[in-house]
Amino acid sequence: MESSDAALVTSVLHGDVNAYGALVSRYRDRYARYAVHMLGNREDAEEALQDAFTRAYRSLARCEEPERFGAWLFRILVNRCRTSGARRVRRGQTFVYDEGALMKASQEHPAERTMWREEIERALGELSADQREAFLLKYVEDLGYDEMAEITGVGVSALKMRVMRACDRLRTLLREVHNG
Amino acid sequence: MGEWGRTTLELIVEELRQPVRLDESFERRVMVRVRRLYAQRRRHGVGGWLGGFTRVTYHPGWAAALAASVVAMVTLGVMRSRPAGVATVSPREPVQFVLVRPDARSVAVVGDFNDWGLNDTALVATNHQGVWSVTAPVPAGVHRYAFVVNGKEWVTDPNAPRSAGDDFGLPSSALVVEDSTK
Repeated sequence: MESSDAALVTSVLHGDVNAYGALVSRYRDRYARYAVHMLGNREDAEEALQDAFTRAYRSLARCEEPERFGAWLFRILVNRCRTSGARRVRRGQTFVYDEGALMKASQEHPAERTMWREEIERALGELSADQREAFLLKYVEDLGYDEMAEITGVGVSALKMRVMRACDRLRTLLREVHNG
Repeated sequence: MGEWGRTTLELIVEELRQPVRLDESFERRVMVRVRRLYAQRRRHGVGGWLGGFTRVTYHPGWAAALAASVVAMVTLGVMRSRPAGVATVSPREPVQFVLVRPDARSVAVVGDFNDWGLNDTALVATNHQGVWSVTAPVPAGVHRYAFVVNGKEWVTDPNAPRSAGDDFGLPSSALVVEDSTK
C-alpha cells in the first residue's frame, strides 16, 4: 500500500531520508510538465524542479499541512519558475513527451502533430510570463481561481484577466495553424 | 487540423497536458543533494535530527500581531535594528540582530542559517530595557531570517528589507553576508 504524503513527511522529519525519495518520485513527472511549459526548455525546468525539491526538504518543518505536501511543493516550484529568468526557447528540448503517447500521435498525424506542437511552443513563448503562468495553472494544471490566488499571491480578478488575455492571444496565434 | 472538430483552445490544452517524463537520473540527482544536506545536519547537530526537525508553527494571528507591533514601534520612535538594510559583513565577523520590543518576554532569531530552529538552535536574545539583541557568526551568503517573540509570534526585522518570494507562506527579512575571501 502506498504511503500518504503526510506519512512520508513524518518519516523524513524523523530522520528517514529515503522517504523523501518517494515524495520526489511521486511529484517528479507531474511537476516537470509545469516547469517545462513555463520555462520553455527541459534544462531550466529540471534545474528549477531540483531546486524546489531541495528547498522543500530544507524547510520541511515549515510545511504546515503535511497531507498537502504536493500543493506546498508546487507553490515553491511556481516561485522558482518565476525567478528562473527569462524564458529561453530551445527547440527540440522544450517538450519531452511520454514515448508511447508520442508514438501513437506520430502514427496518427505525424507531420501535422509535430508542426502543431512546435506552434504551441512558439505561441506560449510569446505570452508574457504572467499570462503563461495563469494559463498553465488554469487549463493545464486544472486549478481553480482560489487555488491559483493562493499559490501566486495574485487576486482572482487579475488572474481571470490574465487567463482571458492568454486565451485570446493563443487563439489568435494558433487559429491559422489549426484551420490550415 | 480543423477537421478535428474541436476548439483551438481544447486542442492546445490537450497537447500541453501530455505527460512529461524525466529520466531516473533526476531522482538520483535530487537525492544526492538531499543526502548531502542530511549529512551536514547530522555533522553539525543542527535541526534536531533523529529527533526530527524543529517545527515552527505559524498562527494566523501573527500577521495582525506583526502589524500591531511594527506600528507601535514606529509610534515610539525607537525602532532600531541591525542589520539595517541589506547588511554586508565579513564571513567571520559576527552579525548583531537587534529588535526593540519592550513588551516581550523573550526574543529569538531564526533563519535559514540555523534551520529556523525555535528550541535547540534558535539564537536567544538578551533584554536590555526592551532592546533585545544577540550576536552570532553567520555564514557567507544570502539569508532569510525572522524574530520569534514570546516563543510564538513571528516578526520580520522592521529595519531590514523583506526577503523576496515568501515561498513557504511566512514572511522573512533579507540578510547578505559577504565572503571576504572572494
